[in-house]
Amino acid sequence: MRVYASYNIKGGVGKTTTAVNLAYLSAREGARTLLWDLDPQAAATFLFRVRPRVKGGSHALVTRKRPIEEALKATDFENLDLLPADFSYRNMDLDLDDTKKRTRRLGQLLATVADDYDVVFLDCPPSVSLVSENVLHAADVLLVPLIPATLSLRTFDQLTRFVADSEGRRPEVVAFFSMADRRKRLHREVIATISRDQARVAVTVIPALSIIEQMAELRAPVPAFAPSSVAAQCYEQLWAEVRP
Amino acid sequence: MTSPSAALLAPDDGALDLAAVVKALSGSFAVVTGGAQVVRQARLDTFDHRLRDAGLVLEHQVTAAEGRLVLIGPDAVTTRVTPVAGLSWPALAGALPEGALRDALAPVSGIRALMVTSEERRRVRRVELHDQDGKTVARLQLDEPVAKTSAVPAEVRVLPLRGYDEAARRTSTILAALGLRPASDDAVLDDVPPPASPDRIAPAPVLLAGVLREFLSAMQANLPGLLDDVDTEFLHDFRVAVRRTRSTLKLGRPALPDEMRSRWEPAFKWLGDLTTPVRDLDVYELDLPVMSGWLVAAEPADLGPFAAHLRRRRTAERRALVRGLRSARFTRLVADWEPALTDLADVDAEGSTVPTAGELADRIITRTFRRVARDGGAITPDSPAEDLHSLRKRCKELRYSLEVFSGVIDKAARKQAVTDLKGLQDVLGRFQDSEVQRHALRKFAEEMVTDGTSAGAVLAMGELVGHLDGEQDRAHQDFQRAFGRFVRPSSTARLQSLGGRG
Repeated sequence: MRVYASYNIKGGVGKTTTAVNLAYLSAREGARTLLWDLDPQAAATFLFRVRPRVKGGSHALVTRKRPIEEALKATDFENLDLLPADFSYRNMDLDLDDTKKRTRRLGQLLATVADDYDVVFLDCPPSVSLVSENVLHAADVLLVPLIPATLSLRTFDQLTRFVADSEGRRPEVVAFFSMADRRKRLHREVIATISRDQARVAVTVIPALSIIEQMAELRAPVPAFAPSSVAAQCYEQLWAEVRP
Repeated sequence: MTSPSAALLAPDDGALDLAAVVKALSGSFAVVTGGAQVVRQARLDTFDHRLRDAGLVLEHQVTAAEGRLVLIGPDAVTTRVTPVAGLSWPALAGALPEGALRDALAPVSGIRALMVTSEERRRVRRVELHDQDGKTVARLQLDEPVAKTSAVPAEVRVLPLRGYDEAARRTSTILAALGLRPASDDAVLDDVPPPASPDRIAPAPVLLAGVLREFLSAMQANLPGLLDDVDTEFLHDFRVAVRRTRSTLKLGRPALPDEMRSRWEPAFKWLGDLTTPVRDLDVYELDLPVMSGWLVAAEPADLGPFAAHLRRRRTAERRALVRGLRSARFTRLVADWEPALTDLADVDAEGSTVPTAGELADRIITRTFRRVARDGGAITPDSPAEDLHSLRKRCKELRYSLEVFSGVIDKAARKQAVTDLKGLQDVLGRFQDSEVQRHALRKFAEEMVTDGTSAGAVLAMGELVGHLDGEQDRAHQDFQRAFGRFVRPSSTARLQSLGGRG
């Protein structure tokens, strides 16, 4: 089982669209794929038309009062399941804080379904928190969407330091540019000048396209409703770069 | 936990009324009906049904637009799907696209090829059942044969989705109310009647004819796959049946007519010899990955020319094998063997001097066991390789006698005796295989040098010879312990009791 986390400290950078589209592509290739929506805003859950409700909420999951198998939902796509978010996830930090090995609990929970899935995506909330620390320990690859802007790069520096300072096993960090607009000089310059010393930066750039925004309207991954669109092709290229 | 998909049949196995199904479900769900697609469905398995035995179902489904492989797990829920194009059967699992389906399948099919076991064109229609959010909560698959003569009736399959079991249950209830009834999959399993139990007091030729007929059936069943070179196991299983035939003829001599010795023993020796060269080369090819792991100084890539040499040799030897199996001599052998077995079984027990099956079993097992004990006891650390080879042959005779007479001796004691013997056979097998492989590697190396191969390949093969030398020494050292276990009082008593001397 290979675990990818779509993560950034900043919000609104394309984490959920990345997790949803790449999870769909992974499943389309035949890999048994799970997407765990960890964000209490439940955007990924909404995109898959699943109700944002987990029996017993974050507390029951984190304390293992309910096995995560009971919360899993099939999406409308073959090989792709979802562990939906629930508004109680806003308290997940507190729930984790009460457990033993509090920075490794999410990884332990995922291990209970390791036989059922080949690939797992974690759609993470934008923060530095106990949930984030758990994600670092659970993930093999941290996928970091970056908007090509100076402040984004500064946040990326913070994130790579956060990963470097974390104890134990660290995920591979793969950044990529998201919501890029090549008509903007600043975007072009940032993409051209980013330092590749700190972390791997994917060659693929995901452009800012309205079809990606339509995901919320059509409630489906881009390659499902617009398979030959530029956006779908970009996500396919990105998946080809990072897939197992 | 998701419940298994349930297949339902129309009353009297008749046609399905889609409109009635949609109408009945519309009260609970938003029903979205897909267009009908003609799907060519090929069910796949290995020749020896490894997938079926593991509870797996593999289908190659081809429509006008796409092809895909579907693997359904033993729980009838876990389904792996992978898109495929340009696949032809038979094929080894290694020929399938990389991914979860291949990863799940390959350990089960192993070195056996996947073959089409049944094929049918079906008209398939998907129906999706949505909740008020537009989320699919269950699927139906309506599946009808294109051919009116199909043995498999039209069916509706409720495909539950993880986390939405209640929707699937409700769907099944609604369909049952329409008169649809659950289908049973039992009918698709081979319905093979159990073989008649042999009798100890039956004439021995009757028992021998029965087991020889089984071996003939095994040869005939494996012949097409062997001729088409589907996978290496067809030849292996064919050879096992020939070897067992030869051993049975030899062991059964006291109860068999002279013709068996004068005509049929040489005939099956010819057949065995015909198949040996290709099998030997198969073994080297199959063992190459393991042999690569023995290398210390050389690299696995250095064995590339050796692999190529094996392939060339195999191609040539296979031509000779196929020629032999398509010859008039082989055709006549099979054609005459069947009536010979019928004659053999047609023994008049009244006033007959032939031994009974029980008498022959006792005599043969006692004799072959004595020989193993005698020859094994004479082996010393200085014994030449031929003595160990000869002992290995004695052990095989004992093993075959336990198998041939399995129907007329105590089952539990026989099983334990085979286990006792297996430990000794394993050690002798390691010794003899190392001996044969060392000599063969030298011969191959000489041929390759003549053909102008690279020094690197020959040096790597030298390392393999060195490893085999060490392995043979280790097997020789292990022999006394294995033989000691075989002749310990409990094993000896067991084998003596099987031979009627307990």
